[in-house]
Amino acid sequence: MAENTVQETQVQAKPKEPLFGKKERKLLSDPLNDNNPITVQVLGVCSALAVTSLVYPSVVMSIAVVFVCAFSSLFTSLLRNSIPKQVRMIVQLVIIATLVTIVELVLKGFNYPIYKQLSVYIGLIITNCIVMGRLEAFAMANKPWRSFLDGVGNGLGYGAILIIVAFFREVFGKGTLFAGSPLEWNIIGPNNEIVSYTINTAAEGSWLGWYSNNGLMVMPAAAMFLIGIFIWIQRSYNKKLIDIS
Amino acid sequence: MHSTNYIVGFVAIMTTVVAIVLTALFLGLKERSDQNAAIFNKRAILSAVKDQLGDQDPKYMGDQEVLDVFSNQIQQISLDMSGAEVSTADIEALGYKGGQAEHIDMKKEKKKPEGERVLPLYVFDTGSDKIYIISVRGNGLWDEIWGNIALGSDLNTIVGAAFDHQGETPGLGAEIKDNPSFPNMFKGKKIYDENGKYHSVIGVKGGTTKEDFHKVDVISGATVTSDGVTEMMVRGVKYYEPYFNKIQSK
Amino acid sequence: MELFNIFLKAAFIENLVLSYFLGMCSYLAVSKSVKTAFGLGLAVIFVLGITMPINWVINEFLLGEGGIFGTDLTFLRFILFIAVIASMVQLVEMIVEKYSPALYNSLGIFLPLITVNCAILGGSLFMVSREYNFGESVAFGLGGGFGWFLAVIAIAAIREKIRYSNVPPALRGLGMAFILTGLMGIAFMALMGIDPSALTAGK
Repeated sequence: MAENTVQETQVQAKPKEPLFGKKERKLLSDPLNDNNPITVQVLGVCSALAVTSLVYPSVVMSIAVVFVCAFSSLFTSLLRNSIPKQVRMIVQLVIIATLVTIVELVLKGFNYPIYKQLSVYIGLIITNCIVMGRLEAFAMANKPWRSFLDGVGNGLGYGAILIIVAFFREVFGKGTLFAGSPLEWNIIGPNNEIVSYTINTAAEGSWLGWYSNNGLMVMPAAAMFLIGIFIWIQRSYNKKLIDIS
Repeated sequence: MHSTNYIVGFVAIMTTVVAIVLTALFLGLKERSDQNAAIFNKRAILSAVKDQLGDQDPKYMGDQEVLDVFSNQIQQISLDMSGAEVSTADIEALGYKGGQAEHIDMKKEKKKPEGERVLPLYVFDTGSDKIYIISVRGNGLWDEIWGNIALGSDLNTIVGAAFDHQGETPGLGAEIKDNPSFPNMFKGKKIYDENGKYHSVIGVKGGTTKEDFHKVDVISGATVTSDGVTEMMVRGVKYYEPYFNKIQSK
Repeated sequence: MELFNIFLKAAFIENLVLSYFLGMCSYLAVSKSVKTAFGLGLAVIFVLGITMPINWVINEFLLGEGGIFGTDLTFLRFILFIAVIASMVQLVEMIVEKYSPALYNSLGIFLPLITVNCAILGGSLFMVSREYNFGESVAFGLGGGFGWFLAVIAIAAIREKIRYSNVPPALRGLGMAFILTGLMGIAFMALMGIDPSALTAGK
């Protein structure tokens, strides 16, 4: 699964060849597999678990993280020579918190239902260690454009895992896809046309009538299992990532 | 190493820039977000009378339509616990700007002692009939749950219901909102039995029928949320009893 | 009694790590040995216990409409909260460096990570959305910190033992930590829905 996404971004990146040398492309593609923020760097796991019960909030969350990650890297990198060392962390956090507040205000103004749904988890992007981690490790020492790409790449790597986990959790746990969005698609969920005096919980009246939603998948714990399994699969293919300790 | 003056200057400039940017954005979007919040609330109230709105589903209605239906067909009344109507000025004095029933923050009311609460009531005029929409609020598994219940003009039969929640588990507790068959079960249920005794509607495990006027099925796997719904239906609907007695005796 | 209930609830029933899965980054990063986990756990209790009341005061008296500025400044909440947390962490860092250099060395880069520990900011945000009062927010902070402490010690102890087991190579370390946390989360779910006030009332 991770391999596919790598190819996709590379294809997208190609037309802009002049700005995207080999190194720049690596900045975008590395976080998707070899250096994935969640499965390899173990950063930003918190929100990965909390919002992934549905795909739609996960997509919104990923977009928000890409935005915050990219622009905080850009600004930090622009200011990297003038930030006083003693207050470095606070300055970085203020930059991140400002961007997150912008995300919050914009969501509140343009998509109120999803703002309600994500509630405190928007604020938690501030403490998403990916953002902070990349600022410390990359943006403080690199030029703006490359820091920006690094931010986008890490945001995408995070988003990829988020959406994959959410996909499995929503389809098997709830039987829908993109629930809550205009694209809502009821795959194996109950058929709401049937009028009954009991709750349609299983896939009553749909083509997968024999399937009953998996209650484990909707629990936050399922996200832990899924990420654990991804790590297992990824490391089986990518031997250099195996933990020797 | 930078000097202390430099640090103070840097932080001061940064704080100013950040404050200006955020304040500008906040003020620029304030009207929009306030309106969004109001529409969100109105849409939730209208969801309780989905059937009476004709073929329009409040979920897919445009913002303007929601505002129109709300201002043309709904009369807002604020009540205190003794069933007396509370004036706009008194509601504003409680800190709810606007002073209408829709401005009452149920979350804040729930924290007050029972006797001091104020209650919102929406009277929906279908043209031929009056439907009373009441608001109830309780606790689910993770956080609060709430609902709007529409009662027919007999003030006994439930004609519609809509529930929402703060953070119930999707696929389990969140089904009170996501699965349309859950609120649908409440339709046709009754608050009082034929002797006039108060029952409200409670959730029970397994196999209720259309004729069980005071029982609905619970969601399997979401016991705490379902118990919360039962509790809020029994306690919350009762709050409106004094007012209903008053208008019925007229 | 009410406050004790909130403490119990935050520590066990609504454990920040095992039921909200907050603060996972530092949780996974330091849980390789019980000793470091113990140190970081204590630091988290301290920081949560201190930032929560401070943030409560800020939220109540600076940001709200009833505050000293008289206008709604809630959009500055994130910035102020995180600034308070960052300065408190800096304080803890200095204290630890002074009194326990050994602990400081073993915690290494993870101490600044407390700042970006979601559990701490998350705690403050939950406090706002649940509208706790001052006493309740102190109890919630200490309870949440204690719950985080328990969870990190538990996973560290399990990870120390599991090192001698024959785990598939690709699952070793991180992968196993994720799955173990998931299992612990499920175990903790057994406590969900328990109402501590009903317990203390003897029901």
